Amino acid sequence: MKNFAYVRATSAEDAVRKLQTNANSQFIAGGTNLVDRLKVFLNTPVQLIDVSRLDLKFIESMPDWGVRIGALATNTAVADHPQIRQDYPLLSRAILSGASQQIRNVATIGGNLLQRTRCPYYYDTAFACNKRQPGSGCPAIQGINRMHAIFGASDRCIAVHPSDMCVALAALDAIVEVESSRGKRQIPFDDFHRLPENTPDRDTTLQAGELITAVILPPVSFAKTGVYLKLRDRTSYAFALVSVAAALEVRANRIHDVRLALGGVAHKPWRSAQAEAFLKGKLANPEIFQQAAEIALQGAKPLTHNGFKVEMAKRSIQRALTISAQGGGVA
Amino acid sequence: MKRVMGTSVSRKDGFAKVTGQATYTAEHPLPGLVHGYLVTSAIAKGRIKSISTQKAEQAPGVLAVVTHKNRPKVFTPANDFRNSKLNEARLPLSDDQIHYGGQIVAFVVAHTLEQARDAAHLITVEYDIQTPLLEAQQAIYEALPDVKFNKGNGATGTTEAAITVEATYTTAKELHAAMEPHAIIAHWQADSLTIYEGSQWVMLHQRTYAELFGIPSEKVRLVTPYIGGAFGSKCFPWSYSILCAAVAREIKRPLKLSVTRRQLTTNTGHRAATEQTLRLAAMQDGKLIAISHAVKTYTSPADRFIVDCTATTPVMYAAPNIRLQQKLGVLNVATPTYMRAPSENPGMWALESAMDELAWKLNIDPIDLRLDNETRAHQRSGLPFSAKHFAECLRVGAEKFGWRDRPKQPRSLIHNGQLLGWGMAAATFPAMRGNTTVKVRLLPDGTVHVLTAGNDMGTGAYTMVAITAAEALGVPVEKVKVELGDSLFPDGGLAGGSQMTASLAPAVLKACEEVLQKANCTTANDACAALKQSGRAAFEAIATSAPGEDAQKWAFQSWGAHFCEVAVDEAIGRIRVTRWVSVMDIGRVMNAKAAASQVRGSVIMGIGEALMEECQLDPNSGYPVVYDLATYHYPTHADTPRIDVTFVGQPDLTFNPLGVRGVGEVGITGVAAAVANAIYHATGKRFRNLPITPDKLMA
Ligand SMILES: Cc1cc2nc3c(=O)[nH]c(=O)nc-3n(C[C@H](O)[C@H](O)[C@H](O)COP(=O)(O)OP(=O)(O)OC[C@H]3O[C@@H](n4cnc5c(N)ncnc54)[C@H](O)[C@@H]3O)c2cc1C
Repeated sequence: MKNFAYVRATSAEDAVRKLQTNANSQFIAGGTNLVDRLKVFLNTPVQLIDVSRLDLKFIESMPDWGVRIGALATNTAVADHPQIRQDYPLLSRAILSGASQQIRNVATIGGNLLQRTRCPYYYDTAFACNKRQPGSGCPAIQGINRMHAIFGASDRCIAVHPSDMCVALAALDAIVEVESSRGKRQIPFDDFHRLPENTPDRDTTLQAGELITAVILPPVSFAKTGVYLKLRDRTSYAFALVSVAAALEVRANRIHDVRLALGGVAHKPWRSAQAEAFLKGKLANPEIFQQAAEIALQGAKPLTHNGFKVEMAKRSIQRALTISAQGGGVA
Repeated sequence: MKRVMGTSVSRKDGFAKVTGQATYTAEHPLPGLVHGYLVTSAIAKGRIKSISTQKAEQAPGVLAVVTHKNRPKVFTPANDFRNSKLNEARLPLSDDQIHYGGQIVAFVVAHTLEQARDAAHLITVEYDIQTPLLEAQQAIYEALPDVKFNKGNGATGTTEAAITVEATYTTAKELHAAMEPHAIIAHWQADSLTIYEGSQWVMLHQRTYAELFGIPSEKVRLVTPYIGGAFGSKCFPWSYSILCAAVAREIKRPLKLSVTRRQLTTNTGHRAATEQTLRLAAMQDGKLIAISHAVKTYTSPADRFIVDCTATTPVMYAAPNIRLQQKLGVLNVATPTYMRAPSENPGMWALESAMDELAWKLNIDPIDLRLDNETRAHQRSGLPFSAKHFAECLRVGAEKFGWRDRPKQPRSLIHNGQLLGWGMAAATFPAMRGNTTVKVRLLPDGTVHVLTAGNDMGTGAYTMVAITAAEALGVPVEKVKVELGDSLFPDGGLAGGSQMTASLAPAVLKACEEVLQKANCTTANDACAALKQSGRAAFEAIATSAPGEDAQKWAFQSWGAHFCEVAVDEAIGRIRVTRWVSVMDIGRVMNAKAAASQVRGSVIMGIGEALMEECQLDPNSGYPVVYDLATYHYPTHADTPRIDVTFVGQPDLTFNPLGVRGVGEVGITGVAAAVANAIYHATGKRFRNLPITPDKLMA
């Protein structure tokens, strides 16, 4: 770890201002991801701006407009919040399926959005990595790629986004609020994370100098049917091999509305728009769910070691939709 | 006086451990301590063309940068287990050759850890890269004549009437993943060396350092009061230890090195992957007529380590024809080492899986198949077992589990949409003991002081020693003060091979008896009174215990049986182990609580082996792609069922005066097979390659 200056931001504006004082500055919130990265030389900032004390820990309901969650609310605070548990069980369960209680107690919502991939090649400077060092190569393509992407990868990068929470946020059509010296803007969740293409060093569309201030959850009338199914190599404290966030609104056995997103399959949470379009108006039954799963996995491009993800994702989708159709619950 | 031996006694070191007062290796405070950091190879085979250290040398706080070009001098130890032993015969930085990914190529010392780590990252190495040999299938194998064994006409003893099963079973490369990472502090004062380092074998460690530096053993002190788990990985000095001690001498400062989680994966051993072909032939009534067990394992080019998977095969089941053979290959993979039941655990995985397959084929209850083929003697040495309550393990386990009521057909137990399966497997581990010496002092206030260099790697040795002394002297356990893990104390032998208790307890017992003899009293109470009266400070005795002639007459072995239930959600490849019963025959149980904990820990480790543990290597660089405790998956609480542990049998008094055999390893043998056997019952699918991960389960 290189020496760095440590400063505390007193307000969002102050944080943004401090970020401009040095090009090689980074925000630190809970530090659960950033500090690990610093220790193994993945990042070598000159200045860390501590935003953890900012007044952005609120979880407030906005009349007729869902819930607004401050970027510095902890993962635990959100997962345990009565209103989130009641109205967005999908989000609560997705958060609780990630990391460990201790980590969730300090990890923040903003930090979770910006956690970086767990690709082992990214994680060790002994390996080349285009995400870490653009142009150096991607050894994962010819290496062990069991955890890697089946959608949207490029010949530069096959890493996946590791967050569980973000899969739920993608399904819930969340909006990310950011602030910079240029002002404030809102980013629809699907536009927030990006595919690697030729610049895998960039995980998101966040621009230089921007601070995440909040995440907005629009009201979703059927969010209560939300299901988060996470498959992994052990029962707790492991990243997803494949995960599914699903929510169905079924009226008289017909699917009125639907949300479907996958985790562990791409460089970003993978919303299945085509499968959603297919499901709308159909009967909620196993054959339809199976067809939806086939549609959702169309175009998947598995690598040497992750071919199983295709079938695993299909079956997980069917399972999650089935449970959601029954009103939701633990998957 | 109430008996304490065999009751449940909470660990004496528990409070110190949970309150952070127990001092582990890296925590010993020494004035002027400086810090080391390793630089490891990013390739698995080749040579170092050039190594550039200039930037690192000029970095702030740096005191030394050591590579193969300026390596400190050490002597080559005898490395023969008696006088000295290294984990890796090749001495660190001995030349420019790279034998495996993650091999140490440089060592940086600085005032702070951060400075050392920073400087280490400024070192650049240019390699001549050669294609490494990483795949077991590509290795050239040599047969190991010592392991070879033929009884009868070997495995060819198959008659027309026989039913056979033949299959190949594999285990994955596993890491010890102990809570406490490996670390060392080396402190030279003139020509005396103090080493703080986790050590399962204190005196051999001491002698090894003495040989490495050409100084008498008395000049080396090894301090290791607490070890945060070892499982076989802290038996002898590793290359990093040698480097640290050697560099500390040159820079004339106390030097600490903590190996990072990442570097642990290649510099502190692992359980080598194995490939085992088992062939069993039996008559229709279940009597075995032939067993053949052929094994392939590998070692690194830097040492020769053998996983003798066939060790327990002639112990478990009788057959007129037995053939054992083993081959060893060399791969460009880090040096493997002992890991909890190093030979027995992988061996029993294959044997107990094959027995299950045979039972299904014969349509015989797997318990009956095992009982029908029990052997009363070790079929290699021909010696009878001193005690064997294996049948009782099976009977008691079956009863507790409800085994006999099970629906016989695979896929016939369904609960909440999941397939349930029941499986069982046997467990066994040899009982060993070594030479130990213990000093016991009885003070006038009734305090008993027990000293020995043997140590507690988390197993409960402090408590076991206290229990033995308390029992022998008739004093409360709280009155016994135990000090372990210091080479200034009498030789306490090896904490490995499950032999610490069997080796130490008899010496403690003897020393306590001698204390009473010296006092000429029959109770500690009387002895204390005598001390008070005479004004004498203490009664003291030093006693030694060693294995006797009995080892020529008997084979000593512990036994057990595991029963488990799994729930498989086949569609999505999800599995939970939902129930577990283990019954063990370990001779005398010294501390019921600690012994049960050892079995539980073993079962948990075995579940990890069965379902998730694997250290995969990048196929090009040969460097592991797991890098911490989050990416190397071992069971969490959520993966662990309630584990019901019962002990049966009696003190094995032919083995030692207390009849205690040890319990550290027997519990892990058979666990993986029990899980796979249960999965077969649940799904009708036989898994022969570990770990059985979700992708395999749903395939
Ligand atoms: C062992 C382990 C296991 C884990 N397992 C899982 C898992 O299974 N599933 C899962 O989803 N997650 C998992 N996590 C990840 C965890 O969720 C993240 O580490 C955490 O959410 C990050 O939050 P933080 O506040 O600590 O972020 P930090 O580490 O403080 O920051 C992360 C990044 O975000 C930036 N940042 C932080 N806040 C802001 C802001 N307001 N505006 C702009 N930039 C900001 C920082 O500069 C940094 O680059 C695991 C983590 C660990 C260590």
